[in-house]
Amino acid sequence: MSPRYPLSMTVNGLDWTVSITAGRSLLSVLRDELGLTGAKEGCDDSECGACMVLLDGQPVNACSYLALQADGRAVTTVEGLAAGSGKVLQEAFLSAGGVQCGFCTPGMLISAHALLERTPQPTESAVRLGLAGNLCRCTGYQKIVQAVLQAADVLAEPQTKQGES
Amino acid sequence: MSTVLGGRYQRPDGLGKVTGAARYAADLSVPGLAHACFLYAERPHARIVKLDTARARSLPGVLAILTHEDVPPVRYGMFVKDRTLFATDVVRFEGEIVAAVAAVTPELARTARSLIEVEYEPLDPILSAEAALEADSPLVHPDWEDYAIRDGVDRRANDGGHFTTVKGDVEQGFAEADVVLREIYRTDMSHAVPIEPHAILAEWRGESVTIHSTTQVPYPARSGVAETLQMPESRVRIVVPPLGGGFGGKCDFHFEAHVAALARAAGRPVRLVFSRREEFVATDKVRHPMVIELETGAKSDGTITARRARLVLDSGAYVGDALFAAEIGLMMVTGAYRIPHVHASAHTVYTNKTPAGSVRAPGGPQVCWAVEQHTDVLAAKLGLDPRELRLRNLVREGDTGPTGQRFDHNGAVECLERATEKAGWGKPLEEDEALGIACGWWFSLPVPSGAYVKLNGDGSGSIITGAQENGSGSVMALALLAAEELGMRPEDFSITYQDTDVGPWDLGSAGSQTTINNGRAVIAAATEVREQLLELASEELEASPSDLELVDGQVQVRGASSRAVSIATLAAKAHGGALLLGRGSGLPPAVPEHDLAGCVGRLGYSAFAAPSFYCHVARVRVDRATGVVRVLEMTAAHDFGRVLNPTGAEGQVEGGVVHGVGIALLEGTAFEDGHQRNPHLLDYKLQTGADAPPINVIFVDTKTPTGFPHDAKAVGEPPVVPPAAAVANAIAAAAGARVRRLPMTPERVWSAINGESA
Repeated sequence: MSPRYPLSMTVNGLDWTVSITAGRSLLSVLRDELGLTGAKEGCDDSECGACMVLLDGQPVNACSYLALQADGRAVTTVEGLAAGSGKVLQEAFLSAGGVQCGFCTPGMLISAHALLERTPQPTESAVRLGLAGNLCRCTGYQKIVQAVLQAADVLAEPQTKQGES
Repeated sequence: MSTVLGGRYQRPDGLGKVTGAARYAADLSVPGLAHACFLYAERPHARIVKLDTARARSLPGVLAILTHEDVPPVRYGMFVKDRTLFATDVVRFEGEIVAAVAAVTPELARTARSLIEVEYEPLDPILSAEAALEADSPLVHPDWEDYAIRDGVDRRANDGGHFTTVKGDVEQGFAEADVVLREIYRTDMSHAVPIEPHAILAEWRGESVTIHSTTQVPYPARSGVAETLQMPESRVRIVVPPLGGGFGGKCDFHFEAHVAALARAAGRPVRLVFSRREEFVATDKVRHPMVIELETGAKSDGTITARRARLVLDSGAYVGDALFAAEIGLMMVTGAYRIPHVHASAHTVYTNKTPAGSVRAPGGPQVCWAVEQHTDVLAAKLGLDPRELRLRNLVREGDTGPTGQRFDHNGAVECLERATEKAGWGKPLEEDEALGIACGWWFSLPVPSGAYVKLNGDGSGSIITGAQENGSGSVMALALLAAEELGMRPEDFSITYQDTDVGPWDLGSAGSQTTINNGRAVIAAATEVREQLLELASEELEASPSDLELVDGQVQVRGASSRAVSIATLAAKAHGGALLLGRGSGLPPAVPEHDLAGCVGRLGYSAFAAPSFYCHVARVRVDRATGVVRVLEMTAAHDFGRVLNPTGAEGQVEGGVVHGVGIALLEGTAFEDGHQRNPHLLDYKLQTGADAPPINVIFVDTKTPTGFPHDAKAVGEPPVVPPAAAVANAIAAAAGARVRRLPMTPERVWSAINGESA
């Protein structure tokens, strides 16, 4: 048996410690050890972005990230996105029709969330560039881009109005 | 007037998808789960001389290893029974399955696979479809004459399906022509590329198996399992979790039987999850490489008098469902044009490559790309504007299609007019920019389907359907149709779907057929419930059922909303007596009358029911120094009849356009010695959000009866058909050189500009 190593990380605000072999990807640990199957495996090669999660707030392709490198760090998956401003993005994806099969959606939301954290009021072309690491085969991206712009507008409104929407 | 149909509607399965709660097939796990992998041939053509699994079997933790010796010796195939679950003596493409392994971990399964000993005697691969049609070509299937076929299939040697269209007298048509144009176009293989790879989980209980699968076609998949494992369909249950896209690559019967057989042998539930490479190499359902020969005669005023066409489809090692692509492609050779004299043929050719078949709009994009470039070349030869030539030849009411079907009033011309107007046809553009037009037609497939509708005791509704949701939203939108029929809100309905033990038979999410066929079934089922409600309400309101209407959640006397009883009240009452329960199926609309005299090999796509029409205009910029093409804007006009769910229909158009732009510029498989050289997303590139152009979507509703619900037509596939053609014509206009090979990569564009072959 290959040696196992302890991995401690905070995932969606909860502390976890697991014992894993050195070669495991962050994605496989999230999905198979923690049961967080929101992040998807579309290529296992950093090509499609379906596996994206936030690592200390930065988007990474979890399929190509060694799990042990996440030791001591904070991970947010799509399951944890609703706890923050991600809920606005989720609602915008639904109302704009930016969700079809939904397989790219978790990665898209993570990417879009990171984009809006960096650039709260992006232009359309900034949104398109910001999501260029996430492949979608269903939507043609148009309604996803609209959703992100829509969410940016909602997030820019005063807090009281957000609560009403 | 409906307040439901045509309105904006949020899909009910969306919440699970944005929160990560939706569980797709690869997300499923059960206690005792074992893991599967396949051993592939990894060579295009060879004879198996030794196959020994003993070492692999002896590895601790290996639960089952299967080869052809472990399953019934059944040959299967939709049109030609040319295939077995596992290779028997010969392998015919690199992704052919030789053995399957189940073990306690995925890693152990792969280790065991590496211990399976196979020795091959190499056979010369047959890699050119045109060469395979030569009389002296070696055969991909030397025993082809022994295979069972579906009635009507016309084939010979390496030609797995031969079709012809004969209309009028093509010699006479060419004799009437002032100009004759003859061209050849070629396309490379491309792929469906759903972002979700195939995944299957099979679990036995006694003599019955439940298979969770990423199939687009649960009922045909069930039939395939029953046929190949020789068991009754009633003991095979296919359940499809949320499907992460399909685009045809998950049509037909694929790998369910392998996993079911593994699970039975292992005595454990078994799960198979494909890698991206397997998705390219082993998914035996790719878009056909084609050679498209076109010859057209026209009068000097632009009137097309004759067309001769020949399609050679490189269909790979097995026929599968490929004959759909060949016959549909054959229907596309006339475009949406009035052509009185036609002679066309298609050959579906065996080679030692990945089997081809139903990828979104099978046969469509390639043939449209060739035909619409040919149309532009013809316009130039005649000295006519490309728009004007199309306007003079597009079908109008009373014209006939390639097999003589008569067209009603339709949107072909209006699509051209509105798309070109929106795109600014004829207006000045920046340097190196140009517009390109592509027109065409598609079918609305009439097939059986079924559904149940019931009202619950609290007045909410439930739809139980055999239809399959592939992500497009078509099943989600069935609630609109039930709500319209019953005067309720779509949000009042739950939808139970994609479980073969629960819903009635359905073809699956294939052929753009869900809304128009299952919609028909849902309406029929809701109509039964409606009659039950009217009966109950007539007692309650002391009025004749014919004087009642269902509006806003209540049954009321027509025009008197105060004399009313709520549907919830009636539902509660019914739950003390006869339940409110409807079933629906109904006969599909007839295919239009047509004439197949002189035609051979026709299998059901010989006329297009409720034909839909479209025109796309592409605006591109060509970098002449590098051959790099950027698509700046796409305008897509579609005659879908009545659009029932605009958000869903727009999503289909936008997604189809971007898929089509990918086909135009980037998506092509390079083959070397029978091996795919780019079976991953780094070298087989999809359009990203940054590449994808903005898209103007235009719906043209000509208000013509279609025979389908609310005069709707099929939506899903047509949008992917014309983009490559529109982009091609724009490239030619911008670069002054035409690219006759698809995809139109920078190398090929550069070579066309510089007069070199690529």
